[in-house]
Formats: sequence, C-alpha cells, structure tokens
Amino acid sequence: MSTITRLSQLVERVKSLPKKRIAIAVAEDQNTLTAINEATQMGFIHPIMLGNKDKIIALCEHEKIDYSRFEILHFENDIEATKEAVRLVREGMADVLMKGLVNTDKFLKAVLDKEKGLLPPKTVMSYVCAIEVPKYKKLLFVSDTAVLPFPDLDQKIAMVKYAVNMANKFGIEKPKVALLSAAEKVSPHFQSTLDYAAICKMVERKQLPDCTIDGPVDLFLACDPESVEIKGIPTPLAGEADVLICPSIEASNIFYKGLMLFAEGELAGLIQGTIKPVVVMSRSESAKSKLYCIALSCLMSEE
Amino acid sequence: MQITKLQEMLEEAKKRPKKRLVVAYANDLHTIEAVDEAISMDIVTATLTGDENNIKRLCAEAGIDHTRFEIIHETSDIEAGLKCCDMINKGYGNIIMKGTLSTDNYMRCILNKERGIMVGKSILTHVSVIEPNGFGKLLIVGDVAVIPQPDIAQKVAIVKHLISTAHSLGNEMPKVGLLAATEKVSYKIPSCVDAALIAKMADRGEIKGALVDGPLALDGLIDKESCEIKGIKSTVAGDADCILFPNIESGNVFYKTCTKLLNSELAANVVGAKVPAILSSRGDSALTKLYSIALAALTSTN
Repeated sequence: MSTITRLSQLVERVKSLPKKRIAIAVAEDQNTLTAINEATQMGFIHPIMLGNKDKIIALCEHEKIDYSRFEILHFENDIEATKEAVRLVREGMADVLMKGLVNTDKFLKAVLDKEKGLLPPKTVMSYVCAIEVPKYKKLLFVSDTAVLPFPDLDQKIAMVKYAVNMANKFGIEKPKVALLSAAEKVSPHFQSTLDYAAICKMVERKQLPDCTIDGPVDLFLACDPESVEIKGIPTPLAGEADVLICPSIEASNIFYKGLMLFAEGELAGLIQGTIKPVVVMSRSESAKSKLYCIALSCLMSEE
Repeated sequence: MQITKLQEMLEEAKKRPKKRLVVAYANDLHTIEAVDEAISMDIVTATLTGDENNIKRLCAEAGIDHTRFEIIHETSDIEAGLKCCDMINKGYGNIIMKGTLSTDNYMRCILNKERGIMVGKSILTHVSVIEPNGFGKLLIVGDVAVIPQPDIAQKVAIVKHLISTAHSLGNEMPKVGLLAATEKVSYKIPSCVDAALIAKMADRGEIKGALVDGPLALDGLIDKESCEIKGIKSTVAGDADCILFPNIESGNVFYKTCTKLLNSELAANVVGAKVPAILSSRGDSALTKLYSIALAALTSTN
C-alpha cells in the first residue's frame, strides 16, 4: 500500500474501498447534506439520514440535490434520531456516525452513553486531525485539537496511540512523533516535559506502538530539517515529523486554525476512542475539508 | 586509568600531592588510626581538633606518635567542628572528617550560615564507592545517607556527583543507571517517571560526561545475562558504574546488604560543600575510614 501524503489521495484511496454506510443524526442540515451528496456522488458512501423527512427533502430540492440515493428514516425528535443513529452504528448496521443539526451536547451524550453508546469503558476520547499544508511535503497528524483541554499523561499516551494508528492507516509504517513544547530543554517545572520524557521511554521499552518519537521539541526541530542542523540537537525526528502531539488544546487549536487561515491548510479530523468512527464537523470548515472528514471516517472504519 | 578496586584508590592517592585533612573532634581510636595510616601512606597531613589530653592518651595506648598530627585543643564538640570549617574557609584544609561528634552536629557545622563550608545553594549529598565481592569493578552509588526523598533537582545533583566521582576515579564515560522496581515506565511509580525525565535530560546534554539510562531494575543495572533474556536495550544494561537510588530506603538497604551481608568494603564522602566531607559512622572499620580519606583525596579539587 502506498503512503497517502495528500488529502486528495485519501479520497482516491477510499473510492477504491467498499462503500461505507454512514448514519447521519438529524440530517436536515444544508451544511451536512452538501458534503454527503458530494461523497455519495463520488461513490464511497451510502448515507442513512435520520431526521425530519419533509425538511430533508425540501432542503435537497432547494439545493438541487438528487435524494433518490439517500436512505431517509423519519424522526420528529432530535434525541430519538440521534439515539437511533448511534444504535445502527453500535449494532453494525452502519460503519460511521455523523453529527447533523443536533447540538453537540445532545449528540455526545448519546455517543458517550454507558450502555448504548460507542465509547468502551475507561477509554480516552480524543481527536486527531490530518492536516495538509502546501509548504510541508507530507501530512501532519495533529492531536488533540478539539476534545481534551489539558491532557494528563494517561490521555497523552492515548493521543500518541490514536495518532500513530491513524498514520499507520495512511500507510506510514513507523511514523515520526513529535511531542511539542516551547523548547527542547527538559525541565521538571513543565508538567508536559515530565510526561513527554516518560512517553519517550515507554516507546523505547516497547510499551507503546512502534514509532520514532522525541520530545520535548519545538515545532522547528519537529518539522524543519535546517533548524535541526543549526541547533545541533540530535533528534531522530530530523525535522520530518508525521505526528504532532500538543501539550494543551490552546496550543493545538491555535496552531491548526493558523494553518487553515494563513497557510492554505485543509484538514480531515475525527473523534478517537469510539468503536466506530464519529464525524463531528465544524460549520466553518471548507467544503473540501468536510469531504475529507467523511473520507477519513471511511478509511478509519476499515478493519 | 580506571580504578576498579578500593586498594587501587589508595595506590593512586599515594602518587598525588598530599592533601590537608582536618578532623572534627577526633576523640576516638578508629579515626586516629585511619588518619595515622593515611599519613604513613603520604596521602594527607592532618590536624586533629578535640580534647588534647584524650587524643594523646589514645595515641600512647595504640603506640601512635602524636607529633605526626597538629592537635588543636577544643573540648566542645560543636566548636571543634566549627574550627575545622574555619580552617577550610581560610584555605588551610582540603578535606574535613568527622570524629566522635554526632552526625547531626557535624552536619550543622558544615551547614552553619556564618562559619560553615557550603557554597551558595548547592545540594549536600552522600556518595558511596562500593567494591561488591565478585562484581569486578567499583559501584558508585547515592544517596544512601543524607537526602531521604530526593526530588528531581536533587536527583539530578546526585547524578552529577556520581559522574564527577567516576571521573575522579579515572572512568571518563561512566554508565549511570537510574534504579526503579522495573524497566517499564509506570506512571503510578514516581521513580519510573523521574528516571525517564533524567534520562531525557542526559539525551539533551543537560547532564554530560556519562551514559545515563533508567528506569531500570537492579538486575537490569548489574546483570548482563538477565538484560539479554529480557531483551532490554539500554546504554547501561547490565554494566552500570553508578547507581542513582530513588530514595534513602532503597539506597541504605543496598549499601548495608553489600557491607553487612556480603562483607564488601566501601569508601564514602558527603559532597556538595567546598571540600569533600567524610562521614563515617562509629561502626565503620579503620579500613573503611582510610578508603574514605583516599576517596576524598582523589575527589578534592581545592
């Protein structure tokens, strides 16, 4: 399998895979319908829309979308529609869950439900984004840009596992994982430094999935070979990181939004930890990124 | 050349210029005998503080010529300790040694704000050089006696002292193992996490002049065979020159297992002050005291 280095290649890859069934909770949402329609036309998904059938059809007609290929299940109530979408995924009748026009709290409540949800007990829920920027020759898997505000060591370990797993699915056998900080100095005054040193040693002792890992490092050491040379820090990342683990949501969120806004970035992001992929897209994402999110969920639902 | 036996340490110390030893409250025969021996070996010249009459009587009983020592008469144990510190501060001593004043009072003298011999905020710690029977080389370990529950900054200071002691004993690139109960990193065990951090500091060049790795269990540190069986890949694996203990309990048990159960000899110094300080306990043999003097003579830079 060749390595996916651009998000357009991700779409090509999922087109070659069996179609995935996507259950969309409360689908009467223009934003979602447009992206789903595109993915359906490209032939890599079979959408199951749960929500108000009349509204869905009216929206499709307004947007000139052919809804004959959509499976539409009528629900008056948001929560009922969401619960049913979760059940379809949980029971294997759908491969992916996607959030539509239901508010995030209600949606996550159904996903996190202890008996009927999608998160196994004691599992860390997190978020990984595959980001493409024209200036970097490969994709960057960034975590956690959306779910964990201040990850502790346990959560950081989960972030590394999820990101490495995603990179593996993109065909990167031994991803280079950078544990990001403001500098490469190790100081007990920074909790992230302590955590990073422990994680590096855990990889060395084979307690975590195989990867090339180093941290703390700053972004230059992680992604710029020239800086590595100038600074003379012998890091195995060599300025070619695949995965960027951030110390807090402030750092990761600002970083990825900066790339979107100023560096022509595109992304594909996905919730991690659930038994099947769960897509939650932000309204402000570009149409391309929305398509990429759906494609990513299809790739990740492959066994 | 790397020193691999305590006896070689004595030989090496004999070759070096003599150091000046000041002894705090030297009112016991073990101490006087050890100092007398070190003088005979041309390792040191010595000043004894303490009760002059008592010192002379002890010398006479043991057949030691008291004129080989400079004796400063002082009947208060604390004042004897402080007078030793005064001498060090005036440049009249390179090594300080404890006689019969209590360890607490001895340490109080060293730490005394006006007359003590500390430099700035340096960390006082204890380095032991043990010759375990059958191991084939010396093990430099700490801290078995002074810092009960070292935090990371103290652990780093201890590691640096272990390394500089190894350098003084002719080992230019010692292997330093950071002891824990297992080589796996478990964040429920603080010593594992601290060890991982210190190993990373060494990766980053924040600790120099040594190969540092941890966490490792004791077999991972000193038993090559079990490292091979367990598949432990480490720069230190099975061949440690220095060991950092996570706390005083583990350090003290290790050191007493070596000395009391396995009859290993050792040398020990308190380091971190202006000069090496010898803190042998009253139970230590004259030989241990002599080795400790030789160690101090080799590590003293003043």
